[in-house]
Amino acid sequence: MTCIERASPALNQILLKLYSAEKPMEIDHHLYEFGSAEYHILSEASDPRVAFLSISTAPLCPGVLATNELSSYTIEMIKALCPAVVEIAESTREGYQLTLKLNLTKIPRGKDYIKVIKEISTVHSVILSSQLKEILWNFNSDDAIKGMHKPIKLVYNPREPFFVIRQPQQMIAVFPIRFAEKSDVIISTAFFQELVDVGSSDRYAKAPPCSWSAIPPPELRGEAFEDLSTNGGFVSFDISSHHVDGKRLDKTVWNLLNFNAYVRYHVKTTKGFIQRRMRKRLENLVEVLHHTESLEQVNEQITRHQGCSTKRLVRSSKYSILKQRWGNLGRKLKRIHFRLKIQGFGRFRQRWLRLPKFSSREYTKLD
Amino acid sequence: MSSTRRGNHHHHHQSPMASTLRPYLTCIRNTLDAAMCLQNFPCQEVERHNKPEVELKSSPELLLNPVLICRNEAEKCLIETSINSLRISLKVKQADELENILTKKFLRFLSMRAEAFQVLRRKPVQGYDISFLITNYHCEEMQKHKLIDFIDIDKEISELKMSVNTRGRLVATEFLKQFI
Repeated sequence: MTCIERASPALNQILLKLYSAEKPMEIDHHLYEFGSAEYHILSEASDPRVAFLSISTAPLCPGVLATNELSSYTIEMIKALCPAVVEIAESTREGYQLTLKLNLTKIPRGKDYIKVIKEISTVHSVILSSQLKEILWNFNSDDAIKGMHKPIKLVYNPREPFFVIRQPQQMIAVFPIRFAEKSDVIISTAFFQELVDVGSSDRYAKAPPCSWSAIPPPELRGEAFEDLSTNGGFVSFDISSHHVDGKRLDKTVWNLLNFNAYVRYHVKTTKGFIQRRMRKRLENLVEVLHHTESLEQVNEQITRHQGCSTKRLVRSSKYSILKQRWGNLGRKLKRIHFRLKIQGFGRFRQRWLRLPKFSSREYTKLD
Repeated sequence: MSSTRRGNHHHHHQSPMASTLRPYLTCIRNTLDAAMCLQNFPCQEVERHNKPEVELKSSPELLLNPVLICRNEAEKCLIETSINSLRISLKVKQADELENILTKKFLRFLSMRAEAFQVLRRKPVQGYDISFLITNYHCEEMQKHKLIDFIDIDKEISELKMSVNTRGRLVATEFLKQFI
């Protein structure tokens, strides 16, 4: 499920290829990825020790952040990725928010290089996570005093925004769900019911409580109509301080950012699962049907071999009638007595005048 | 006392729905058993043609009275018989929206592949979810009671729904595990 992995698979592959190349190679790649991420990787054969990685991403919350530039907190988080290998380049490539200088010679040899390169490939997820953390931390204190918490609209995928509402004791993340097809809506609704059911069990008491409603929750009243018109209802997660402590903050933030993608992936795979089940059931049903037909043929053979005095055909189909008539004709021909006996004619007759036998395997029944 | 108690170990609490299923299926089975007495009958209207009279309905003397068996408002079975063919149409219960889409998908899937089943009609009769057309040739080639067993669709849909819900539960569990 590449949309939920932190590391960009395409970026990871290109960096691994660059690192493992036997001869210095020139690379000038542009990449566009899910979540409006744009990458540029540049490496010159004249200086194989260094590569430049530029990145640009749409702001997570266009209304809150004043400029498109990355904040100092985000840049600090990126520097902490692999301090020995990654440096912030002095000049940023035009059209991008940030350019990183990668010192390939400082990547450790041995098996660790895969881990290091994978970590570098998570740069986009680091930017998004740090942006969301800042938004959650820098809430308007005036609003908090008045008891009003305006929902913050976050846009990871342009067509699937979600909202975060800051409250005194907790935060609520609300996901409006929309699908193009009605069957997708029904499958996702069944999934949300299971999600709410599992979340309310004792075993998952530590996970954020989850709820689903067909109408917008009260916290979202006043938002734009196009944001609140859905066909799949609204899923809400109550995030408490427990879920954002220490290392859990990263996991929580990343899971929230990818919830919509997770749901869509589940709906898609469920449809494939249903199709496979139906196909398998169809094969079983056809097998049962053919089994009943083959049982009929076995019964017919048993009745014939029993040597009944009255011949009774179990099947009176056209094929068996034709076979019977042909057999009768053949027997009549064999009983013809010739008046003149010619030496060797008997052998000639057996070889050249024998009637062909129809075997059931070669005969195809005409419908 | 012990012998009587031994016989009473299992007390099945049947829901009202389950208690009506058996008589419903038995009634269909008995009706089909009686109706599947088909014989070859060439078409009276067109020379050298042999058509299922239940589809044409051009000669009333060749048709029997149709039988409608209703389990409830949502589930029913229509059996139309003629001298050389028999048409069975089923309306399957759809308790919720998920069953509704699963039923539609599954029955449409089967109908699109009707040639594999021979007895299945490509398009159901109006007002029903699935239809079968059985002719005298099918009765000659296939066993009657197996044909009747083939027609139990309810169980298929219930199993499909249960597996979809089980899968959803597993996926939900995996998602929530990430927060712990």
